[in-house]
Amino acid sequence: MLHAKTSSPSVSLAGLKRGASALLCGAFALAAIAALPAPAKADIDDWPGLKRTVFDNRDVIEEDGVVILDTPQVVQDAALVPITVRVPPEVKEPIKSLTIVIDKNPMPVLAKLTFGPAAGTGGERRFTTRARIDTFSHIRAVVETEDGKLHMTTKFIAAAGGCAAMNAKDPTTLTDGLGKMIVKTFEPALPSTPIWEGMVMLKHPNFSGLQINPNTGDFIAARFIYNADVKRDGELVFNMRAGSAISTNPNFRFTFGRGEENVLTVKMTDTDETVFEAHSEPSGT
Amino acid sequence: MREDSCGKIQCPSCLARANLAVPDAPLDAHAQQQRPITRQSFLRGLGALAFLPLLRSVPAFAKDEPEAKPDMAVQEIAPGVFVHQGQYAMQSPENMGDMANCAFVVGDEAVAVIDTSCSAICGEALRKSIADVTSKPIRYVINTHMHPDHVFGNVAFKQDAPTFVGHHNLKNALQVRTDAYLTANERMIGPAFQGSEVILPDLGVEKKTELDLGGRALILEPQATAHTNNDLIVTDTGTDTLFLGDLLFSVHIPTLDGSITGWLALLDDFEKRKAARVVPGHGPHAMQLPGALKPEQLYLQTVADDVRKLIKDNLPLGEATKIAGYRQEHAWKLFDDYNARNVSAAYAELEWE
Repeated sequence: MLHAKTSSPSVSLAGLKRGASALLCGAFALAAIAALPAPAKADIDDWPGLKRTVFDNRDVIEEDGVVILDTPQVVQDAALVPITVRVPPEVKEPIKSLTIVIDKNPMPVLAKLTFGPAAGTGGERRFTTRARIDTFSHIRAVVETEDGKLHMTTKFIAAAGGCAAMNAKDPTTLTDGLGKMIVKTFEPALPSTPIWEGMVMLKHPNFSGLQINPNTGDFIAARFIYNADVKRDGELVFNMRAGSAISTNPNFRFTFGRGEENVLTVKMTDTDETVFEAHSEPSGT
Repeated sequence: MREDSCGKIQCPSCLARANLAVPDAPLDAHAQQQRPITRQSFLRGLGALAFLPLLRSVPAFAKDEPEAKPDMAVQEIAPGVFVHQGQYAMQSPENMGDMANCAFVVGDEAVAVIDTSCSAICGEALRKSIADVTSKPIRYVINTHMHPDHVFGNVAFKQDAPTFVGHHNLKNALQVRTDAYLTANERMIGPAFQGSEVILPDLGVEKKTELDLGGRALILEPQATAHTNNDLIVTDTGTDTLFLGDLLFSVHIPTLDGSITGWLALLDDFEKRKAARVVPGHGPHAMQLPGALKPEQLYLQTVADDVRKLIKDNLPLGEATKIAGYRQEHAWKLFDDYNARNVSAAYAELEWE
């Protein structure tokens, strides 16, 4: 189930000085309020720059209902903010890609998903994960439809400190069980439904590079999942490129087009080039 | 004012990216984000923030010290054992940080303080309450765990040169949270927070430890991760009074910042303990075992049961926070302030069972 190749340390952040937002570690009970640095750049509109660099300055259609973004009204933990992107069933055409952007995060692109033939159509398509939020920020979901058009919806998240926070309550257990991976196929109530749902969860600290080792006071070197391939019965559902803001113990829920066996295979690679692989059990046969 | 981390030469994300095979879409767009922060833009930002519902109102900062002083009245619950009952509230300008119970024990020779409330001004008022009772020196200031409402009054006791004492994990836990705790509490309490600072423990308790006050000893026992990863309980041998810190909440909803399974297991152990009385971190001055534990056990067990069921039903985390624990809503104060957060923490822990 798990191939772990733990050589090639590729990201080293040793020698970083303490400073800036990295010290905004998780204020328990206060994550949403611990945001004094926010005002300094709250009025800066990052979108024009992001549009240029992330989307090549292409035209973006805003709030046309093609994509919906669900974020919590009140953030409980800035290091563990549940985010769901939905493409409602009225949208019939295939989706080429989905990009989630958190404007003010040190790495604004949370994830970019490029969909394959097994992504499916004929129902609501969804993607859910959990993100770290560095400071009060807009969050955007941008969907590229088959015709090459970009559709965007935007929300604002009032939370801060998530990128530097240890969301393990007990830091000594952060790397316990690293690599444990579960992939599930959720069989719908009506198995003939064309769109099914699956999930992958991986035990992995997903170090952002902004967290401080409490024992040494130094930054913990970044080590996070940057690539994932999800396949159904061997066909690509999506490829994902991810930044450092996916929460500890990465968790992704997604829809896919119903197949024969509906076995989901997920391969994830972290920035140490360690590969994690697992698959779900066959369902709906 | 802090600087944007991206303005630094050694921005971790830039470094991380430099070491990665960069995907098609650039993962960061820092070049576009670096703009000077003018005073005007800062003020405009502040103005914009004022409308965010999450931010509690903060009165204009006064130059002078606030005129009102917190009332840190204490009650002698057993000979030589004094407890101040904190308010059932989040920290606010009105309560000046008085929200957690604090206590002190007077021996033949010296005094030990157990928790110091959430601000220097509360710590000073507590110190005055002690001085009203005894002139003996303050030898120890003990923190039952890291949370701001138990530690920020420490600074008021610096002049007494006591030994500051906590769980062996307390020092690290406070170090990584110092800035966040200061920032958040300054914002929530306002001018009354002036002068508050984090005082790290001199003595980190790794195993059962006895502190002598002359004629009576305090027994300190560090616990495994439960409410936090640095919970310390204290027994006064003179009166068999057990101080549980935030391992025991009453009336005020329990808050989870450690491990829900660890906490439930610990409460099972506490059920078997004998003590003349226990002092909760939030709740009345004194309570009796094992009854005092029951409501908290019920709440934590309800959250754990609900979350386990929702995980089994494949409900995602965000949905679970809207459902789990609500059967207990009627039973606690500040339920809406903390329940969803507790559920979020419990979910992240229990999904790996």
